[in-house]
Amino acid sequence: MEKTERAKEDAAEARQKLAKAAQLLFFRHHMEPGAKRWELKKAIGRNYEEVLKMLDGELAMLGLEVKLVKEGEEGSESDRYFITFKGHPTLTETRTFGWRIDDMAMLTVAISYIVAKGGKAQLKEIERTLKEKFPKWRVEATIDRFIRRGYLSEDETGLLYIGWRTRAEIDQKTLLGLLLGKEEKGEAKGDSGVREQG
Amino acid sequence: MTSEKKELMLRIIDLCESVQQRGIDPFDVKVQEFLDRLREILPKLKAHEDLYLDIQAMLGLAEVVYQQGEWIKHKSSLLYLDPLLIMLKLHALSSEDLSEVLMKSWHPIVELESISPHGIKESKDYWTELPPLSERWGELGTTELLTGKISRDELEKMGVSSEDDFSKLMKDIWEELQSAVGEKGEIKYWDFIMARTFEETTKMAWLVSFLVTGGLATIDVIPLEEEIILRPFAKPRGLKATDVFSLAIPVTREEWERRRKGGEN
Repeated sequence: MEKTERAKEDAAEARQKLAKAAQLLFFRHHMEPGAKRWELKKAIGRNYEEVLKMLDGELAMLGLEVKLVKEGEEGSESDRYFITFKGHPTLTETRTFGWRIDDMAMLTVAISYIVAKGGKAQLKEIERTLKEKFPKWRVEATIDRFIRRGYLSEDETGLLYIGWRTRAEIDQKTLLGLLLGKEEKGEAKGDSGVREQG
Repeated sequence: MTSEKKELMLRIIDLCESVQQRGIDPFDVKVQEFLDRLREILPKLKAHEDLYLDIQAMLGLAEVVYQQGEWIKHKSSLLYLDPLLIMLKLHALSSEDLSEVLMKSWHPIVELESISPHGIKESKDYWTELPPLSERWGELGTTELLTGKISRDELEKMGVSSEDDFSKLMKDIWEELQSAVGEKGEIKYWDFIMARTFEETTKMAWLVSFLVTGGLATIDVIPLEEEIILRPFAKPRGLKATDVFSLAIPVTREEWERRRKGGEN
């Protein structure tokens, strides 16, 4: 009898932690979405990775998944977890997100160019490349928007890097594979069941 | 120390910094050759300042070697793609093809916006302290500014030094507008004039005013949506063929900053 009570308490506690993890990851608390490793550890406890694995299982039924974006060293407290689409959106869906075809094309080129240049490239070089195909006025405004939204990041010397949002949302290997005309298989899942990127 | 030796060390330091900061190919630096030169001059260095420069140059070269290692790792990874290939792809593929590439590798973040108790309090305070509409309308005064002449220097900065130059500038901006509107045939005014700097934005606004006055484009104001729409004409129209009226559009730094921060043009 006591064992059954204990099991019920454990299940209730697990559901509570699951709900807490979902709230932390779904609701925006800072400038950036998602939650950092230390925040999850603080709110959920040391077994936060198990809770995230459970959450990932629940979200899979909704076509979503928990994704880990690494920052710096292995296991850094600043690593950030996000909830993302498991698959990719359709063209109609992307239009409802407010994206223009041109904007998406420009982001494809900017990301591929930066990756091809070893992870950083001069802003002016990318602008020059894009201006060969897109109107000048649109290129500058769009790159600024990519920087503001976190798809790209810029340092004080005018170098552009891959931003945190690109690392969270875009499967760079698949992108390059598709650009070259061959599709890569999806990345394998890690032990925790949570997909890792970056 | 002779200036030649000092110059060599400073050149090495500068080159190494360029690799780190400007993304120059680290293999462009002849590390071995520089190391040999530094080894040659080291016994002749006496002053602390010179030895410090030598250390800096050595550290810079060590960083270049590290960058070379990273470069090789990157090139041997699956993510290596020649920048030239990107250029070729850019020319070969349409915008639709390129956007499809992004779409198929995209897993957007799902997030929900929420308001905190602090945010609710701030909103309540704002609403309580907001003066009635009648009072706010009264504050919307306008300041009349006298018109002036643009100087020759200013025109030269814009690349205009003769009437022919100006006509060419107008033609370029007209073509840019036509390409910007695409098949839709219209574009939001701010979308078109918005540029990276406030100065460039005002320059665009200034040029657009000439397009409209010259009968190359027209402007429509949609009051309910507070939108200003710009439509280029396929052929220049005489002023008699259009309804001519005067329209003042404020292009202020505050508005420019607001749109720039907001991310929505």
